[in-house]
Amino acid sequence: MATRENSREVILADVRAGLGRAPGAPVAARPAIPPPRALGAPDQEIERLLSEIAALKGNAQRLASADVSTALADLVRAENVRKATQWSTAGLERLGVTSCLRGLGVEIVPSDAGIKVFGDVDLGITEADFALAETGTLGLLSSPAKPRQVSLVPRIHLAIVPARAFRADMHQVFEEAKKQGYLVFITGPSRTADIELTVTIGVHGPKVLYVWVVDGSWAE
Amino acid sequence: MDATVKQIDFRRNTQGVPPNIPASVQKATGRFLGIRAGVVGQLPNWEELREAAHNIRLHAINHLDHYLEMMEKRVTEAGGQVHWARDSAEAGEIVLGIARQHKVKAVVKSKSMATEEIGLNHVLEANGIHALETDLGEYIVQLAGTGPSHIIVPAVHLTKEDIAKLLTQKLGVEAPPDPFRLAEIARQELRQRFFAADMGISGANFMVAETGTLVIVSNEGNARMCTTLPPVHVAVVGIDKIIPDWESLTVLLRVLARSATGQKITSYTSFITGPRHSAGEHGPQEFHLVLLDNGRTRALRDPVTRQTLICIRCGACLNVCPVYNHVGGHAYGWVYSGPIGAILSPQLLGTKIAADLPFASSLCGACAEICPVKIPIPEILLHLRHRVAEGDEQEAAVSPVLARAAARLGAMVYGTPWLYRLTLRVLELAQAPFRRDGWLPRLPAPLNRWTMARPFPAMDGRFRRWWAARQRGKSQ
Amino acid sequence: MLSALTGDSGGRIRMAIKVQLFVTCLAEQFFPDMLERMVGLLTRLGVEVRFPEEQTCCGQPFFNSGYQSQAREVARQWMRVFGPTEGFIVSPSGSCVELVRHHMPGLFPAGSAERRQAEDLAGRTREFSEFLQQELQVSDVGARFPHKVTYHASCHLLRGLGLHDGPKQMLKRVRDLDLVPLASEETCCGFGGVFSVIYPEVSKLMTEAKVRSIEESGAEVVVACDAGCLMNIAGGLQKSGSRVKAMHLIDVLAAGGDAGKK
Repeated sequence: MATRENSREVILADVRAGLGRAPGAPVAARPAIPPPRALGAPDQEIERLLSEIAALKGNAQRLASADVSTALADLVRAENVRKATQWSTAGLERLGVTSCLRGLGVEIVPSDAGIKVFGDVDLGITEADFALAETGTLGLLSSPAKPRQVSLVPRIHLAIVPARAFRADMHQVFEEAKKQGYLVFITGPSRTADIELTVTIGVHGPKVLYVWVVDGSWAE
Repeated sequence: MDATVKQIDFRRNTQGVPPNIPASVQKATGRFLGIRAGVVGQLPNWEELREAAHNIRLHAINHLDHYLEMMEKRVTEAGGQVHWARDSAEAGEIVLGIARQHKVKAVVKSKSMATEEIGLNHVLEANGIHALETDLGEYIVQLAGTGPSHIIVPAVHLTKEDIAKLLTQKLGVEAPPDPFRLAEIARQELRQRFFAADMGISGANFMVAETGTLVIVSNEGNARMCTTLPPVHVAVVGIDKIIPDWESLTVLLRVLARSATGQKITSYTSFITGPRHSAGEHGPQEFHLVLLDNGRTRALRDPVTRQTLICIRCGACLNVCPVYNHVGGHAYGWVYSGPIGAILSPQLLGTKIAADLPFASSLCGACAEICPVKIPIPEILLHLRHRVAEGDEQEAAVSPVLARAAARLGAMVYGTPWLYRLTLRVLELAQAPFRRDGWLPRLPAPLNRWTMARPFPAMDGRFRRWWAARQRGKSQ
Repeated sequence: MLSALTGDSGGRIRMAIKVQLFVTCLAEQFFPDMLERMVGLLTRLGVEVRFPEEQTCCGQPFFNSGYQSQAREVARQWMRVFGPTEGFIVSPSGSCVELVRHHMPGLFPAGSAERRQAEDLAGRTREFSEFLQQELQVSDVGARFPHKVTYHASCHLLRGLGLHDGPKQMLKRVRDLDLVPLASEETCCGFGGVFSVIYPEVSKLMTEAKVRSIEESGAEVVVACDAGCLMNIAGGLQKSGSRVKAMHLIDVLAAGGDAGKK
């Protein structure tokens, strides 16, 4: 059976016949949605985010911007990072992430590199666009400066979270992101429970997730 | 109706289920239910969310034509291509056509019940295109050559020993029965395949009509790999997966993960609108959405069964179902199992093929109680039983003539008080040869269908005699 | 509570209550003792008990098999019997009450006289424990039952009629009764009416699982409020050689104490 020219019309006609609706028939209002959660005090929201991520076996901490270079040095040593890549955001620039990594002897791979090169990258660094404390969730957008593969392919993902990323609830994130074409929520490192329900961290996505909520005005 | 699926014989499928299957299944479902209860208990407004989820999904289904057209328009505006498939064969042809156009050799797939439904892997395989399942559980059942036995945990019926043996056999590697090592082996096997694939195929958990956005949840990250790395992304999605807008997602995402795995939210939720939006952006260059009917418009016709289509495929009804827990998913004979399979398969395949399934339930109602979108599953089971037994506006009766005759005879007895009382007395006398200490341990066919599992208590109709004597005593 | 019943005002109010026994076909065939105790208990509580003798069955076996035409026929007979009666219609089986309350009216076209009658009857029909607790406001009938007891929540009573804790509350009021938890209290026992004969192998597995958890509870007696479940569980216990007895709530409430006297 080949594809048929008029399948669209047939399916829509079947839908309308099944529902007893004429083409262009009026649409009832979408049922009500329970209201969003209220945003907590900034410190509480940060604490909640960190504890939710930690509960999911992510490495979450709060840092002063001045301590980022020390923390990066620790991470590079602990995880044996040889190659890294990062989003090209003004915030990461101001934090001096690239120069710090170079100083640590880490090779910087372009974030838009082809998969043959990119497949071996150890560490991908992003700057979270959104953070939802309630579930320990980060929201990342996509653009030429923010390639999707940076938070996906490297074995370690470091997400740096500015204070301005916090939103009370999915409602606010969606309102801002829905016209952006792409959004991904990341909640902890990748995991599976497909074998005897044993939770195994690190499957196809990053095995290790670092989340640093960095204080200061670096991201403004 | 799908011509490739043979008539489902649930009783045969449930005979001789190896005892390790219910054991593995119950271990998993018990854990899921326990974790689920914990996270649901943390939400003060769970019932309010369920109610809202039900209303939103039913609203979307009741205005399906409107939202499908909106979806099509928005996806097209975003640079994607929309295809419409009436059935499995057409959907397969569409995907194959796209693959051929791009000279695709290797496909990576993330878990999708819709593609299971249309047997897409076989279609591609038959045309020289290898389609690799990348969800760990799907990868395992693909290696095993079977289908998934659970919506969320496809290989739930297999132990780590079974899986280790399978990987050792199929991959020629030393695979120990350790979930962590097994997952690592699969990761290594699959990683280069993701990088080399020319096309990624996914399903979707939701289609947001407002912006033409696909929402895909996953934990392993394989769905992100499939929809991010290959140059072409094809999504095959049932037309029932539509929702009006992003606000609706705030409810549905809250109930989905909690009901499915007991997580507050899965590790990854991707919101994908069309292909990449500029040459400089990372992501697929081409995006195709295949909207699949495959019996769904038939299910729409009946307002009772229509409610089946609001399902969000969380699998909670499987976890809580005592029947599913004892027989596993394969007994249901098709890709959907458990209570949702028992109501969905007869509608998508037709009652001729799946007449057994509406009866594969004790009507205990645990499924409806746990369902996050409040599908009245027992009511739909009863509705479909009626369709099977007597036929309705949708389909003719398919129950055997003998069964129908027996029902008529039974109703005559129950509808005629003197005949009913006489029958009871006759049966009471007839049971004498079978009676052992107040029980009837073994009875001839068809009553042996009861006694093979447990004895009948002996019949004892003395209440009426007692009542008559009591009335006589009173009146004296 | 019982003392209130023996008092003047209580007694007068109770005497005014008339009840039609809806014994159900299963209980009539298999549980005559329980039905006699039910009559005894209700009478003791000052209720005037009637037994419409032309009753047969509510039609549930047909309804659950999909034979709605036949279910309608049998329902008509049931309505002919109970239609002209007055007062509550009380049954010892949760699932039969659920059929009458939730499914019988739908067998008849909306707006028809039969539909109105079915709805009236649905509104008057009560499960036994429900009737005692909600209509008589009685949870303690003065029973004494010095045994370890566990409770199986029948599916249609629990989810169909929404009676979650009522029967257990009543068991807790029974003197010397030690109520122990049942691990899978709310899991179906595997009966399911026609299900048990259409898929006997699966029904058997479910029944065996229920029997195992009853055994593991350490109880001497398992209580339920539905003749179907009791018939299945009792059979399962018998088959496994268990010493645990399956009893109706009524059997326990009629034991010992004041209510036990005839």
